[in-house]
Amino acid sequence: MRSIVRLTAVAATLAVALPVFASVSVGQPAPAFSATDTAGKTVSLADFKGKTVVLEWINPGCPFVQKHYNSANMPATQKKALSEGVVWLAVNSTNTGASDYLAPTQLAGWMQSKGAATTATLMDADGRIGRAYGARTTPHMYVIDAQGKLVYAGAIDSKPSTNPADIKTATNYVNQALGETLAGKPVSVATTQSYGCSVKYSD
Amino acid sequence: MRLLRHLLSTLALGLALPAFAAASAVVTTEQVRAELVVHAPQGITPGSEVWVGLAIDHQPHWHTYWKNPGDSGLPTTLQWQLPAGVSAAEIDWPTPQRLPIGPLVNYGYEGKLLLPVRLAVPAGFAADSLPVKLHADWLVCKDVCIPESGEFALDIPARAASMGRGADFDAALAARPAPAAGARASASLADGALALRVDGLPAAWQGKPVAFFPETGGVIDNAAKASASWQGAQWNVRLPLSDQRSESPTIMPAVLTTPGEPRGLRVEVAISGIWPAPGAPAAAPAAAVAPVAPAAGASLSLAAAMLFALLGGVLLNLMPCVFPVLSLKVLGFASHAHDRRAVVASGLAYTAGVVLSFVGLAAALLLLRAGGEQLGWGFQLQSPAVIAVLAALFTLIGLNLAGVFEFGSVLPSELATLRAKHPLIDSLLTGVLAVAVASPCTAPFMGASLGLAATLPAAEALAIFATLGLGMALPYLAASLWPGLARALPRPGVWMARFKVLMAFPMFATVIWLVWVIGQQTGIDGAAALLATLLAIAFIAWALGTPGIGGIARAAFGAVGVLGLAAALAWMLPAFDAAAAPAPHAESGAAWQPWSEQRVAELRAAGKPVFVDFTAAWCVTCQVNKRTTLSKPEVMADFASRGVVLLRADWTRRDAAISAELARLGRNGVPVYVLYGTGSSAPQVLSEILSVSQVRDALARL
Repeated sequence: MRSIVRLTAVAATLAVALPVFASVSVGQPAPAFSATDTAGKTVSLADFKGKTVVLEWINPGCPFVQKHYNSANMPATQKKALSEGVVWLAVNSTNTGASDYLAPTQLAGWMQSKGAATTATLMDADGRIGRAYGARTTPHMYVIDAQGKLVYAGAIDSKPSTNPADIKTATNYVNQALGETLAGKPVSVATTQSYGCSVKYSD
Repeated sequence: MRLLRHLLSTLALGLALPAFAAASAVVTTEQVRAELVVHAPQGITPGSEVWVGLAIDHQPHWHTYWKNPGDSGLPTTLQWQLPAGVSAAEIDWPTPQRLPIGPLVNYGYEGKLLLPVRLAVPAGFAADSLPVKLHADWLVCKDVCIPESGEFALDIPARAASMGRGADFDAALAARPAPAAGARASASLADGALALRVDGLPAAWQGKPVAFFPETGGVIDNAAKASASWQGAQWNVRLPLSDQRSESPTIMPAVLTTPGEPRGLRVEVAISGIWPAPGAPAAAPAAAVAPVAPAAGASLSLAAAMLFALLGGVLLNLMPCVFPVLSLKVLGFASHAHDRRAVVASGLAYTAGVVLSFVGLAAALLLLRAGGEQLGWGFQLQSPAVIAVLAALFTLIGLNLAGVFEFGSVLPSELATLRAKHPLIDSLLTGVLAVAVASPCTAPFMGASLGLAATLPAAEALAIFATLGLGMALPYLAASLWPGLARALPRPGVWMARFKVLMAFPMFATVIWLVWVIGQQTGIDGAAALLATLLAIAFIAWALGTPGIGGIARAAFGAVGVLGLAAALAWMLPAFDAAAAPAPHAESGAAWQPWSEQRVAELRAAGKPVFVDFTAAWCVTCQVNKRTTLSKPEVMADFASRGVVLLRADWTRRDAAISAELARLGRNGVPVYVLYGTGSSAPQVLSEILSVSQVRDALARL
């Protein structure tokens, strides 16, 4: 009888610990993570304690990501953030079996060719970081404040489309959230529906 | 040779020509063949309707998306260019398929698709044909996504039938979800999920699995497992909400399907309950659902809320509605000062009583919340009957303290000695009583914690309420645990009797306050009736409880008292039943108007700034603010000069609309002061202790 109880407890714990897609919500502490970047270095969220951090889910093969890079919108947003002391981490959660998977050097090369300015570009091929943050699309944007709390999750801007002409008339939610967080104000639009291609997790 | 060259150039021209031709009805890409099609079996008659549509034939494994694409993707969009007077309706979407991709889910279509659109032809239409131009954008994906678009053009002849695609249109129209007919869907919010109930589904569906397709994106977690069950003819399902939900609809249309009925039904789900603020601002801690992943233990925001609750509980001791019972407790210490164990046990019992009462209240609040009723934190004092009972109780306690009667004579001897033998239970009950009266005195910085607790999952709301109770009991627990403090108390003596009588006065003061509240709720008649009832109860207590009266006299007086009580109740109860809202209490002139949601919307639409005072008669902080800050001439002058309309939302009696508005503002009790500016900026919620400078600064910022 006791062994059954014990088994049930173990099973329950395992069920809870398995990679469920239950993810963080805005207002909660941002989940810790550690990954290898495109240069081969290990980068952790804890390395940037006390700084505002932006996470950007990317996949160069996705037309929505291309919209924001070919138009230089994402690189401009990155440069602005970096100039204000914000840490910008790009994350690629495409699994190694996907048709648009890019090896670290290829990804780094693409980022450089588009003039991207990130603190680091992280490889998350097993999708652990993506699942912890509930990243559904590329791009999917997150802003973490200096106290380690998630203050924004959602789209890069307010017009879901692949048309670059929509960028100038859209509200850039990341610029807005960063401006408010750095000024110590609460983020006015904290959660939006992200748009893009689906993140290519392994099944 | 020259003939060959001529042939080749003609061939080249022939191939090049279509490229220069006007946009046709067909666009073909590597992934789809898209065609603008029409169904007009009677041609075009003035004042009639014609069906047009975009037919998309997908290559195998490629798909396009539904109006709600799900976790990713974009719906197909159509932009029409039509002659004057002709209008196109929205796409009549066929029921989609669920397209899972790893841990994500999309809603869309594969294979052959036709998106039908109704065209309305004006009565004055007289042309020979109707030229239709369409610009369509669609996102087609397999494992990669390709955004595509096409320009289409078609001329629909007016006096000839266009029914070449009749079969496809019939199939597309039959693939649309059927209207709800008898089906009714409603949902309530419970613990991070939508608890959906659907009645009136066709009998053939019962017992079968049902699929749910929400038309509104950004609400539910599309990939999460939804636990569903049939209870007779009612289908129930628990739909987990998205962790990063961005919408809070009150009505959510959705499509339900079952195997064998792929077209399904379209229902409008009425959602009741309070949406937790999606991504609450940093000022107030947000709803904390502990993530399954790394970070374990209570989140920072819960800890902060509990700290505030603790401080708030300690502060509660200073509120006038708690002080009288406080005095009762001090009395208890005075009589036990030299029995340390008893004192400590007493302190612990009091703490237990307070904490259990708060937890009990929280549990009741949560149960009622689950039952769907909208309640606020002061709900006990919104019912005149409850106030009357409390007034009677405090009157009896006051009389007992004043020496008018002794409990020993009124209660059976076993109960009387039981009280003496079990001072612990006595302390416990004292704690419970203290809580009963403290509830509406929500101290300033507790407001946010309480608003938060009402929206939290059950366990965390209970934790916050328990901490509130702990804070309230803390001073007494401290006094009971530290011998130094207890020894500092004076020895028992004659002063105790005098002290006991003295403590009667705060009791009576509380009764006066309660009578005033009843007066606000039911008018002067109700207040006088309550006083009469209290007088009758006092007389009965004296008759039955005062020592030194003979048995016959006691019985006679007792009978008179009971008759008097019956008469008083006969007067009081109907006065309480007066369900009509109490006459508006004398305001400072006609400056304040009654609040309603429509009034606020009207005024804002007219570009007027609005100040709303959420108040209640039993709320002491509200009354203080009303008589100080909100009566100051310079504040009123500021309001007048800026043309601010003043609205008062009176929550003295239960009001569902006000409860809902308070919840929307993230609060659960009063007072709440809200300033709406002109334009669409968010309203400013001012603090509960309203200072003149705060109001004037907020007005200056308008």
